[in-house]
Amino acid sequence: MSAVLQSLVNQPYKHGFVTEIESDVAPKGLNEDIIRLISAKKNEPEWLLTFRLEAYKTWLTMTEPKWQNVHYPSIDFQDISYYSAPKPKKKLSSMDEVDPELLRTFEKLGVPMHERAALAGVAVDVIFDSVSVATTYKQKLADVGIIFCSISEAVHNHPELIQKYLGSVVPVGDNYFAALNSAVFTDGSFCFIPKGVKCPMDLSTYFRINTEGSGQFERTLIIAEEGASVSYLEGCTAPRFDTNQLHAAVVELIALDDADIKYSTVQNWYAGDENGVGGIYNFVTKRGLAKGRNSRISWTQVETGSAITWKYPSCILRGDNSVGEFYSVAVTNNYQQADTGTKMIHLGKNTRSTIVSKGISAGHSNSSYRGLVRISPTAEGARNYSQCDSMLIGDQCGAHTFPYIQVHNNTAKVEHEASTSKIGEDQLFYFSQRGIDAEEAVSMIINGFCKDVFQQLPMEFAVEATKLLSFKLEGSVG
Amino acid sequence: MVINTDYLERSLELWPFTNTKPSSWLNQLRANAIDQASMLRLPTKRDEEWRFTDISALTHLPFRPSQPENIIHIGDVEHLFLKEAKIRLVFIDGYFSSSLSIFDPTSLTVGNLPMFLSSNSAYLESHLGRLAKYEDNVFTALNTAFLSDAAVVSIPKNAAVRDPIHLLFIATQNEVTSYPRCLLVCEEGSNITLVEEYIAHNNAKYITNSVSEFFLAPHANVKHIRIQRENLEAFHLANCAVSLDRASQYQSISISTGARISRYNQNVFLNDEAAECTIDGLTMISNQQLADTHSCIDHIKPHGTSYQQHKCIVNEKAHAVFNGRIVVRPHAQQTNSSQSSRNLLLSKTAQVNTKPQLEIFADDVKCAHGATVGQLDEEELFYLGSRGLSPATARSLLTYAFAAEVINRIPVTSLRQRLEQAILYQKSE
Repeated sequence: MSAVLQSLVNQPYKHGFVTEIESDVAPKGLNEDIIRLISAKKNEPEWLLTFRLEAYKTWLTMTEPKWQNVHYPSIDFQDISYYSAPKPKKKLSSMDEVDPELLRTFEKLGVPMHERAALAGVAVDVIFDSVSVATTYKQKLADVGIIFCSISEAVHNHPELIQKYLGSVVPVGDNYFAALNSAVFTDGSFCFIPKGVKCPMDLSTYFRINTEGSGQFERTLIIAEEGASVSYLEGCTAPRFDTNQLHAAVVELIALDDADIKYSTVQNWYAGDENGVGGIYNFVTKRGLAKGRNSRISWTQVETGSAITWKYPSCILRGDNSVGEFYSVAVTNNYQQADTGTKMIHLGKNTRSTIVSKGISAGHSNSSYRGLVRISPTAEGARNYSQCDSMLIGDQCGAHTFPYIQVHNNTAKVEHEASTSKIGEDQLFYFSQRGIDAEEAVSMIINGFCKDVFQQLPMEFAVEATKLLSFKLEGSVG
Repeated sequence: MVINTDYLERSLELWPFTNTKPSSWLNQLRANAIDQASMLRLPTKRDEEWRFTDISALTHLPFRPSQPENIIHIGDVEHLFLKEAKIRLVFIDGYFSSSLSIFDPTSLTVGNLPMFLSSNSAYLESHLGRLAKYEDNVFTALNTAFLSDAAVVSIPKNAAVRDPIHLLFIATQNEVTSYPRCLLVCEEGSNITLVEEYIAHNNAKYITNSVSEFFLAPHANVKHIRIQRENLEAFHLANCAVSLDRASQYQSISISTGARISRYNQNVFLNDEAAECTIDGLTMISNQQLADTHSCIDHIKPHGTSYQQHKCIVNEKAHAVFNGRIVVRPHAQQTNSSQSSRNLLLSKTAQVNTKPQLEIFADDVKCAHGATVGQLDEEELFYLGSRGLSPATARSLLTYAFAAEVINRIPVTSLRQRLEQAILYQKSE
């Protein structure tokens, strides 16, 4: 069976094509002038330039972290182009005016934009190499008072919200890559759900890196006011290049009293070829602040792409009774590396968090779960349950677990469980005895293994994730 | 940082072996270790392995190496002896005391370093310092550099020593660093129980920097009980390295109740197939104590088995740290490993940091770990209250029950009873 499966696993990267449109690329390198250039290009107000410059100064004083369980040649930050925008021919007033080449790209990707968007009922804010191209369903959302736009638009139209919240969850000096992002971020999504509004549809952003040698530094900010709720989807792809590309995004979520934010990611950046050449370095800072009482922040991620995935979507549970959730499936194959997990910082009383993490490693890949559960002295009656399971396919790969549990309050209840296993011969035998071939059996076993996480995904994403997973892993068992 | 280097520099300056030549290989070993120590620095909280254990306090202490001073009378320490132990080696501040010890000097299987050096130097050379690597551990490097005495236990092939061997390390001197050292070599098929105990004689302030090396030949079976009961002023920094050969069995129980700051690194290497280890630990601390246990179980060859259970009982303002690392190397197939870290917080101000870690590079393995942190169950307390037990009794009974799982495994009766008493009469909030 291995030959058949082998051919399937070596399936070329589906989204690997370059769109030939004229890009407006800033010269490579990073200095104050580049930051001023980005700011000027985007016609930004003075306060944002100050924010960027401060972040840049902080970044200069920081050193690249070394503790992670991923290995990569050191990044030359002067060899990256920090701004790349499709050259706008004129101001866009409707979808029909969008560059047809661009639209074809999305068509190839199967992004449900334009008419196709209706099919999934999704409003897409498309980020194309850092600049938001078009936003759909804006009007429908505006009717209920929801602001959903690119962050550069928000800077002009809602500066008071941006000034209030930008950097409030992930401060500029939080970590090396967050500081870099704060200095050079080019675009991203902004979403504001006003008091008491339940967002009528799932919101979605589709990220894609197009220009070789450019970094993608997007910034996402989602605010849910009292009693509001929103489900946000993020999907990522990139064309294939032999050089490694850096993707250092920052995502900030803020949930006020009784608000509910659900953030789902399906990440399928280009992972490099079967020899580990090329691929995206996905170094992302994602953090949610459950600020209000009874607020809830839920992260769901399916990480299948990127040469290196290194991120910890986190929840700061400040409000009393707030809830943090983290559901993750991380699949690595060939020479991919993943060091991912979450941080649950319990500050408020009776805060609860759940962590379910499933790691699948195949080929020569390594995947690590690294998580922090911190119960502060103020978090009376806090509760955490963590479960992280790993599955190994083949004997060349590695699976690692690094849970940090820090408890400073004796009323807390913290539980952590982890296990490691492989697909058993007897399991496969059972399937074949029922007439199910090995390939399908593996796919079914893996889907069962990941079920707890997939259940958390919105419908369309769950389907996509299931498909992605079988693409990734076919051929690695045999 | 400046203060940090001071302690190390002082230690380096006080190195006594600049011109001595007791035995060329030993001198070479010490010289290598002191060179290595001079290249290292003391760990700080910025080092991942020392994130939660701040040892900067010890850098302020003007400690010098301990000196051999035998001023202890047998009557003062008699209560520390174990009645089951027919062989006992007592070390005062790291130096052997023949008057307090009982052993047979004619049998050369148990003794101290100078005895073995004069009779069987080559044997020592092939073991001492071979397992406890000092290349990247400044404390092991210092211990090796200052190595002048050691407990040496060598069990011949197929020998079964029925009674436990007691290694007792007593600290007496104020403001010194002592360097206790143990070497255990178990030849093929041998079987022993070893009690390694560290205890304070008074309220002196001191640093114990100990290193133990255990070699288990094929089919050897070792039960290792380690008791750390230093006083509340002491710093206890210990490294233990264990090498398991084919089908050998190692069972370790480490109890840690003493020291202001303690750090115990235990590294177990399953160097050949079908080796098996059971590593149990119990940390019970209060006041402002900090107890840090770092273990690493390294499955290098296939068919290895390891079980680990570490429990912490933390009271008052104490702080317990546990970092248990399990590594399954490539091709160490059919490894079966389980690990659990269970923690009981008895007061509001107590804290615990636990990190059970799995690093797995082979696919046909069974590995699981778990960690829990909690407090005494209200319902259980209520139940005991309904049976007429006072809240204080109920609490200590439940605390005892939590600890008993580890304590009950100790095969030496008098030692077990001693520990049971200590736990039952501990106060809790």
